[in-house]
Amino acid sequence: MTRRFLLLLLLPLFFLPGCDRLGERPKLKIGYMNCNNERETYQRFAPISSYLSEKTGAEFETVVADTHEFEERMKAGEFALVHTNSLLYIILKEAVGLKLLAAEKRGAFGTHTAGALIARKGSGIEKIEDIKGKRLIFGPMMAPSGYLAQYDLMLAAGIDPERDLAYYAIPPGAFKHEKLVYAVYFGDFDVAAAPVLDLEEMTREGKIEADDFTILAQSATYPYCTFGAAADLDPALFAKIKAALLDLGPEDTAEVDGERLKVLKTSWAEGFEDLLDSDYDGLREMARRANMPPYQSY
Amino acid sequence: MAKLSCAGRLWLLLFLATAGLVALFAFSPQGEGPARSSALDKGLERELARQARAAFVRELYAPVVELRDSGQPQAALLKLEELARAYPGDPFALVLRAEILREMGRVDQAIHHYARALRLNGEYLDEQGPFTRRTEIRQLVEEGLATFLPRFQAHPDNRSLAATVKEVYYLQSRLAGGCE
Amino acid sequence: MNLRDRHLWLVISAGLALGVLGALLAVWGNPENSGICVSCFLENSAGALGLHDNERMRYLRPELIGFVLGALASSLLFREFRSRGGSDPLPRFFGGIFLMVGCAVFIGCPIKLFLRLGAGDLTALSGFAGLFAGVWGGLRTMVDEVRLAPAQPRRGSGLLIPALFLLLLIFLLTGPGFLLTSAGGSATAHAPRSVSLAVGLLLGGLAQRSRLCVTGALRDALLLGRRSPLLYGLLAFALSAVLVNLGTGGFRLGFYGQPGAHTDQLWSFFGMALVGWLSVLIGGCPFRQLIKAGEGDADAGLVVMGMFVGGAVAQSWGLTATAAGVPLYGKVAVLSGFIFIFAWSLFRRDSQAC
Repeated sequence: MTRRFLLLLLLPLFFLPGCDRLGERPKLKIGYMNCNNERETYQRFAPISSYLSEKTGAEFETVVADTHEFEERMKAGEFALVHTNSLLYIILKEAVGLKLLAAEKRGAFGTHTAGALIARKGSGIEKIEDIKGKRLIFGPMMAPSGYLAQYDLMLAAGIDPERDLAYYAIPPGAFKHEKLVYAVYFGDFDVAAAPVLDLEEMTREGKIEADDFTILAQSATYPYCTFGAAADLDPALFAKIKAALLDLGPEDTAEVDGERLKVLKTSWAEGFEDLLDSDYDGLREMARRANMPPYQSY
Repeated sequence: MAKLSCAGRLWLLLFLATAGLVALFAFSPQGEGPARSSALDKGLERELARQARAAFVRELYAPVVELRDSGQPQAALLKLEELARAYPGDPFALVLRAEILREMGRVDQAIHHYARALRLNGEYLDEQGPFTRRTEIRQLVEEGLATFLPRFQAHPDNRSLAATVKEVYYLQSRLAGGCE
Repeated sequence: MNLRDRHLWLVISAGLALGVLGALLAVWGNPENSGICVSCFLENSAGALGLHDNERMRYLRPELIGFVLGALASSLLFREFRSRGGSDPLPRFFGGIFLMVGCAVFIGCPIKLFLRLGAGDLTALSGFAGLFAGVWGGLRTMVDEVRLAPAQPRRGSGLLIPALFLLLLIFLLTGPGFLLTSAGGSATAHAPRSVSLAVGLLLGGLAQRSRLCVTGALRDALLLGRRSPLLYGLLAFALSAVLVNLGTGGFRLGFYGQPGAHTDQLWSFFGMALVGWLSVLIGGCPFRQLIKAGEGDADAGLVVMGMFVGGAVAQSWGLTATAAGVPLYGKVAVLSGFIFIFAWSLFRRDSQAC
């Protein structure tokens, strides 16, 4: 009886070595590219981080960063995962060996998107050649749908944006994408380099009508926003994260600040898909032609 | 008069009821009775409803078709977005979207939208229907198999390619016919 | 196998006729791989009678009328018409409903299963496995002394279903305004009416004389092995279907792109397992129920009425599977069917033996 009692007392000792592992969840950061503004970007993507934490057992922190900060912070090893536009994915792949996880699905083209040059209907600007000598507004320079695609379109049409336009500008501050559409709508500029996805969403929301603009030219499609992983991320965790993203459905929820939120609805995404790196080759060619990073030469 | 037995009464009643039925069919007025005209009306109503629906859909989406045919596919897509505000989830919008996306090179999205449209309404496969897209779907299936099957075989772990191939097979199965 | 047994040759002839004509009906205009499909035809006919709202599944199938009236004619000719009934009528009615549920989830009855296999549709293999498992399960239940009440002679009852189908024949020939017909969809795929009716009458007569039944053949194979004549009828059916399909170019071997088929193997298995199990308990597959109803079996007649209701319900409630897969409610309905079987078996079992 006494022997059994002593053995029972000793039994918990076998489990003690595992106790400190219960609290051990790897703490990792996801860098999200700042879209319209920092607060909105955080609110959009925090549920994804929370969802990935719940699904993978790692603890992911949401960090919003500006486009130009990513390369440096990746090299410093700050981010385990990043969510960026496809041009930044290409740049980071070249610079730090970023690994493709999944591409975001949103809009008519699914995982892809495009950029268009638009003018107000009735402005007299009917085709791309008519934009010579006109005022053009771009989106952010590192936005493939708001700058690169349209720059490439102009070069292909024999128009040098640096010489053949009256001038071009990039709007300051937040919500650049909508600003450039409204800039043309209200006549502040003649032509806008509008992301097709924004045109689609603004039409869906009734902010603009389909007949308000003339689409002068549109690029070929290329991948939309992309999740990438640091080259040294644990392969098992990489596989879990990828599966979690691809499995993410409209009814999946995650907890953020005590509230249960629908992940896809909050992030505006329709899902994630498994693309191949070769799907980004079209964008790479565009960047080469436009002398944009990572292929710029001085 | 001999009293009828129970069985005899029943036979007599059966005869009378049957005779009444025959008389009803034989002597009912031709072409004017309410039952006959309501049956014809119902058939006519159904046909009218079908044609009215077809005419409405053609008229509703005429601007989209016009933009597409004049070489403005993106404008056509935006027009579809505008119409979707009032008529969300209409299967013909999915068909038009599929056609435009195919023209723009998004074959996988075209396959996806055709599959969605057919799940909602199989009439786009009818040989003779007003909105038949049988030929286009067949061509898309051939293109889909030629494009995506080799890619999937090269990357069998790629779930998106697997999903696209599955949808191509779905379209192929629907084209093949069967009870559905 | 006794080669001198006339009944054996009758069964083989019926099997050959079923296979040849079943495959040919698809060539002559019926849906692909569905030259004969009792469940699909019942759904179409239920739609024609206004019992469901699927506009693309409305056509009064002459084959069904032919099966019942052919069986009637044959049974009268050979004095085998027996008006009987009273064997657990209401459970049979619900059994008919669940037979249709199982068929709706597989997309086809046991005859269509073999026609699909005969056309190279490998997705039907899981259905075959399910059917076999279901027949085995049904036999096990009967071994455990689950029995239906025996049928009794019932004057007059056995005439009702033949009379109903005679009325349907009149509808078919006169085309009253309330009879609905689809303008598009698989219901528009049909062989010429006279051909369908003639084939139905011939097969109805042959099936009545030979007692041909797909699930019955599997059941007898399990019980009697190679001594079962029905097994040879089934083999003749399957082989002739393959040969006709090879000859007419209707044979496409594979899993994908098959007409009227889905790749959800698990639920094909369960759907046909439900059909197999029920068929053993109530004495025959959907085709056999039609034949028995034609020869005066009022209980089979109730199964037929249940199948009409089941066909209507399957369409109206969205239980039917499609090439896209099996809907959630279809799966729920199949599992409900199994619950029905097991609960009923518990109530009906001989408590001394089980």
